[in-house]
Amino acid sequence: MKVAISSSGTTLQSNVDPRFGRCPYFIFYDTDSDTFEHIDNQARQAMGGAGIQTGQLIEKYGAKVVITGNVGPNAFRVLSSASIKVYSGVSGKVNDAIKKLKEGKLTETSAPDVGSHFGMGQK
Amino acid sequence: MIISVASGKGGTGKTTVATALALSVGYCQFMDYDVEAPNSSFFLKPYIKHIQKVTIKQPYFLTETGEDFSKCAEFCNYNALAVLKDDVIFFPELCHGCGGCMLVGPEGAVREKDVEVGEVKKGVTSPNIDYYMGDLKPGSMRTVSVQSALDKAIIPWELVIIDCPPGTSCPMVFSVKDCDYCILVTEPTPYGLNDLKLSIDVLEKMGKPFGVVINRDGIGDDEVEKYCIKNGVKILAKIPNDKEIAKYYSIGESLVEYDKNWKQKFENILEEIEKDLVV
Amino acid sequence: MKQMTIISGKGGTGKTTVASNFIKLANDHIAVDCDVDAANLHILLEPKIIKEEEFTGGAIATVTGECINCGKCEEACRFKAISDSETGIKINPIRCEGCGVCVYLCPANALELKPDRQGSSYVSETKFCILVHARLNPGAENSGLLITRIRNTAEDIANDKDLKLIIIDGAPGIGCPVISSLNGVDATLIVTEPTLSAISDFKKVYEVAKIFDIKVFVCVNKFDLNLENTKEIEDFCKSNNIKLIGKILYDDKVSIYLSQKKFIVDCSESEAAIEIKNMWENIKGYLYGR
Repeated sequence: MKVAISSSGTTLQSNVDPRFGRCPYFIFYDTDSDTFEHIDNQARQAMGGAGIQTGQLIEKYGAKVVITGNVGPNAFRVLSSASIKVYSGVSGKVNDAIKKLKEGKLTETSAPDVGSHFGMGQK
Repeated sequence: MIISVASGKGGTGKTTVATALALSVGYCQFMDYDVEAPNSSFFLKPYIKHIQKVTIKQPYFLTETGEDFSKCAEFCNYNALAVLKDDVIFFPELCHGCGGCMLVGPEGAVREKDVEVGEVKKGVTSPNIDYYMGDLKPGSMRTVSVQSALDKAIIPWELVIIDCPPGTSCPMVFSVKDCDYCILVTEPTPYGLNDLKLSIDVLEKMGKPFGVVINRDGIGDDEVEKYCIKNGVKILAKIPNDKEIAKYYSIGESLVEYDKNWKQKFENILEEIEKDLVV
Repeated sequence: MKQMTIISGKGGTGKTTVASNFIKLANDHIAVDCDVDAANLHILLEPKIIKEEEFTGGAIATVTGECINCGKCEEACRFKAISDSETGIKINPIRCEGCGVCVYLCPANALELKPDRQGSSYVSETKFCILVHARLNPGAENSGLLITRIRNTAEDIANDKDLKLIIIDGAPGIGCPVISSLNGVDATLIVTEPTLSAISDFKKVYEVAKIFDIKVFVCVNKFDLNLENTKEIEDFCKSNNIKLIGKILYDDKVSIYLSQKKFIVDCSESEAAIEIKNMWENIKGYLYGR
């Protein structure tokens, strides 16, 4: 299973980045083969809706789980629609986060963390 | 003749000057282009006759057709559309209403509807002012759409006074783009001087003639005045710092109400501007 | 780490003055000047630029090929950005929103979306903390995007240096720049004054802040200018459960202090100084706590 982790750096020793839409990197960790790769998060340059773009990116990469700090409502909506599990409120090192996930110590997030980006017609 | 009243810095007295000018001259179109936070109505107290909704066209997607909308998401430069394997999610607050998704998407499966982004209020006030105010829906980003609706109402051969939003970026530029002359209102402080220079930069790039009104004269220093003199910028008027004027302002009473002499002074300003434009 | 944005709705209420004094009083922090349109924080903070980056905003449609004057682009443009002339179509950069419809439709492939160099962002050192600020070129759009960029930069630095607080001087108004200044922060302080204009704008910007579901604090500047209006603000705060953290007396020497590059909190003769210090005491518990 592929796990996507928002990251401040490119290795497993990097810190989990608190932002989902605008973090600099994503680490995709395959729990079956215990291998990983990283990508630059192109969406962070977006004018608006970075989280929306990132959400679609995560689905395209085939990740089934996201580990991050904070996820906004637009991004959360995209991830939920794509049936991707979200574990937010996570900080510390990427490899520690993966270990906690494997040990079942992370709690799944059921609602977005940070306030709504915009309000009009949004729910 | 279209006169825009602008300022780099917020809170310098644009609305004070714009409304005082309108009340002094007495016969004009007054347009409040500060659609995010219009304040002129406090001073002009218009009788509103008509409210017109400002809308943009936004798409909706017939997902039940089973069509593939990925081209729409790829096209959208604003990330207003997320296309997933099993779902299409539209984010109206990010959509500019460009119509692109309808063009590139599956034929007939992308439709459009009108979505309200704000209002234009039309009214009158004495002595003989036709009043227009733009009001953006809080949370909407379509400032320019509401300002565009105001553009349509301008009668350029009348005297038109435009109360601009603060700053030097898009909403301000939109408010001065059609003006014949711009009055820049500033305050005699380091912030006022800094932001005056930025505004002058914009107007020079746009080739717009301008003059300066120094408001709350006396609260800071004389650097703004020295700068204007040194750079050949005309100072149209200086409004003194006066707690009484501030109190009048706080309850929506115009400068002209506070001291009737200002009526003549503003008429003189208009004459100066007209002279400048003939030259 | 917490983030707080100081906004006002109406310009000129004292937002930047409060922001700069809080920046002086705080510790373990970084500051961002999100009023990229007419940045003022640098005037008091006197930053030394250590890094400058060009900012390329959205895109503008540009004629790069041979226009055949078919008029398809002009007809399709929703923003009235295209007009024709004898020499082919002209794109008005003030109106163009970079959507790409004209580029898509052009049968002669004569149009391209080109990135728009719209300003610069800076990371600077000040006596108190790092300041991230920017200069938007005159007439540029996309202040929202530039604000998002500098906030990103500040967040990266804060994460890297393990800082506790990001203080953001927000833009005036209620539009896109303010929305970008508020997105994802923990708290906002609305600086208002007891005038009809400011109260109207305060309520509007409060609506925007509510959309973000963040903690709202308020302070009333020049409160003695109109006690009745001040009461109206106080009542509004009470009925909406907004914490009013300060009422600052009108001090007409504030601008003179500014001209002398003095921080109000250093001017013991100013009544405003005591109140701003009190406000900081009132709010810092929340900002540095859990």
